[in-house]
Formats: sequence, C-alpha cells, structure tokens
Amino acid sequence: MNKQYLLLSAILILAGIGLMLTPKKSAVKELNPEQLLLAVDDPSRFLSTDLITERIIKKDPSLLLIDVRPAEQYKVFSLQGAVNIPLSLLFSEEAKTLLGQEGKEKVFFSNDDILADQAWQICKRIKMNDIFVMKGGVNFWFNTIMKDNPPNVTDDSKAQDLYTFRKAARQYFMGNTNQSQGNSSESEGKKEGVNVVKKTTSKSSGGGC
Amino acid sequence: MTGPLIPMGYIPEAWNNVIAVLLGAGFGFTLEASGFSSSRKIMGTFYGYDFVVLRVFFTAAITALVGLMYFDYLGWADFSMMYVLPTYLTAAIVGGIIMGMGFAMGGYCPGTSFCAIAIGKIDALVFTTGLLIGIFAFSEAFPLVEKIYESGNLGSIKVSDSLGISDGVFTFILIIVALGMFFGATLVERKVKKVEY
Repeated sequence: MNKQYLLLSAILILAGIGLMLTPKKSAVKELNPEQLLLAVDDPSRFLSTDLITERIIKKDPSLLLIDVRPAEQYKVFSLQGAVNIPLSLLFSEEAKTLLGQEGKEKVFFSNDDILADQAWQICKRIKMNDIFVMKGGVNFWFNTIMKDNPPNVTDDSKAQDLYTFRKAARQYFMGNTNQSQGNSSESEGKKEGVNVVKKTTSKSSGGGC
Repeated sequence: MTGPLIPMGYIPEAWNNVIAVLLGAGFGFTLEASGFSSSRKIMGTFYGYDFVVLRVFFTAAITALVGLMYFDYLGWADFSMMYVLPTYLTAAIVGGIIMGMGFAMGGYCPGTSFCAIAIGKIDALVFTTGLLIGIFAFSEAFPLVEKIYESGNLGSIKVSDSLGISDGVFTFILIIVALGMFFGATLVERKVKKVEY
C-alpha cells in the first residue's frame, strides 16, 4: 500500500485518539449565572396586557402567545390565537419546533406571572431569545380588559385614553355589547389548535451531494 | 449557511448568499476535479471497479469532523451553534430508497449532475430534466405524501447522543470504520476487472 496513505491514516488515527482524550463538554449550553441574573433582573421581559391586547387585535404576525397552563385550563379559556404548551411539556419535540421559530416574539402567560416566568427562565437559561412574559397573566388581562373599570373624572387624559382603548378592546372580544361585567363567554377566548410549524429550514443548507 | 460565523455575528447576515455561492463554486470545482462529473466513475461504486466516491466523501466527512472537533476544543468554533438538521426517520428511509434508485439508474446525484452539465454532458442534462420533473411532481403531489414527509420526527439528534457515547469516541470509531472501508475497497478493486472510461 502507498506509504502516503499509511501516513495519512496514522495521522487520522492519532487525531481521533486525541479527540477521545479531550474532556467532554456539556451538551447543553447554558447562560452563565451572571448573565442569567442580569436577565432576570431586567423587567423588560414583561409585556403589559394592554400591549398584548393591541397586538392581538392588530393580528400581529410576529406575536406567538404561549399558554403554559395545564391543558384543562387552556380548554376552558385562553387568549385569542394562543397555543398551549404546558410547562411540563416545554421540551417536547413539538414545543421545541414551535419555540424555535425565528422572527416570532414568544410571549408566555399563565393565570398569574408564576408559571409563565418559570417557563421564561427555563428558556432563557438555554439561551432562547425573543421570549417575554405577559405581566399579570390571564387574571389581570381579564380584570383590566374584560371588566369595566371607568377612571375617575379627575384622572388625566392618559387614563381616559386607556379606558377608551380597553372599552374598544372589550367590544372586539365580546362583540358590540355594553355590558359592564365581562362574562367569559366562548366568544372571548376563541382558541386555535396548536399550530405546529414543522421543518423550519431557514438555516438549513440542504446538504448532501 | 449553517456555519457558526453568521449566527455568532462575526459575518453580517447579508453575506449569507454570497458565501453560499462561493462555497457552491468551490464544491463544484472539487467534484469535477475528483472526476465526479462522470456517471461511469460514480457507477463504479455499485459495480465495484472504482470506489473514488466512497473515498472522497468519507475523507471529506472525517476531515471536516476532526477539524471541527479540534476547532471546538480550541474555542475557535462553537460546535453547539452548528445547525443540525432534524431527523425524520420514515421520510429519510423512503427518500433514501428513492434517491438510491435514481442514483443507481442515472449515475448521478443532484450535485454531480449539475457539475456534469457544466462540462456539457448530455446524459447529465437528461438526468437533471428528470430531476426537475420529479421535483415538480413531488410539489404537486405534496398533500398526498405530507404525512410520510413529516413522520418519524426525532428532532436534531446526533448518532453519538443516540448511542450514549462522547463525540470524540464516535469520531474515532468513524475514522476506523472509514479507514477499514478504504482498505476493503482497495481489495475489491483489485479483484474486479478494471473498466476503462
């Protein structure tokens, strides 16, 4: 056999032995503790219920609402267009595909902030970007958007404008009605099935010959 | 581009397509220089008179793998930033059989057929026409085959993870397997009658 081939083979085998002896790196790349602490301390991850409501009404295509509550609660009521990924299924293949979508701002929400913030911290820890939490969760959303809370006459114009917006939003979700108390009818929370977008190949090279 | 330089921000996103074209040109040149624009040479792998396809592709694979592993170890590249195509097992098996049949019948794979067209091979032109018809038929019939296309999703898995061994051990095993195949291929070539082309 050609000596050059033998030499190249020997080099490859030595390189392979060298790789076997190198220390194994952790398979999961995590955000280092300092960065995670800074991120947790930054309140910009919280988006207000009013902002989310506005984006739902405008049908913002970059918004991906993720309901991290158990499936039973999601079936009873959820925000329009939200998909359900219970916290325990956050690392399922379907959830990974959904969360891996580029160009989408993933907004977690639960009944309050707790479950949603846990989901955010888990995802942030594995260096996921474009993730947010809806401040106050579904309960706060319902109390501010669906219930009529008129401002005092002495409140400033900003509060008046906010009230007008919430009133309009309420009409959008409930239909054209002037009921003062929101009852969680089916029309409020029309849910869509889990819209799993498979095979996102934005970074794919195609490969092969 | 799946490399780590753009995701890590070293090269602007706008260069993506430019780099893809340059890499494609380099890849095409290497295919042609290796003789892959000849369907007879490629068919040699199936008939046992020429294993250059096996040697070139396996050498490329293990060289790239060893290089990337050392780059990762030295901190020059981040292996975890590499995009790993998700494995759709059923689709891969069905697609592999269809592509293998086409490969064996036509003597080209998609890349080498375009390479052969570039130097004026008529058989490659016929092959590529069939390839384009196949792409069109697949696109039109996609709703019928969608379930197969999306079935068996195992995610972005690696063989080393599935086997529960480290990347280094897997690389070493692959090197030994590749060298063993090269040696075996040489023995087969000696026994099979040489074909002139």
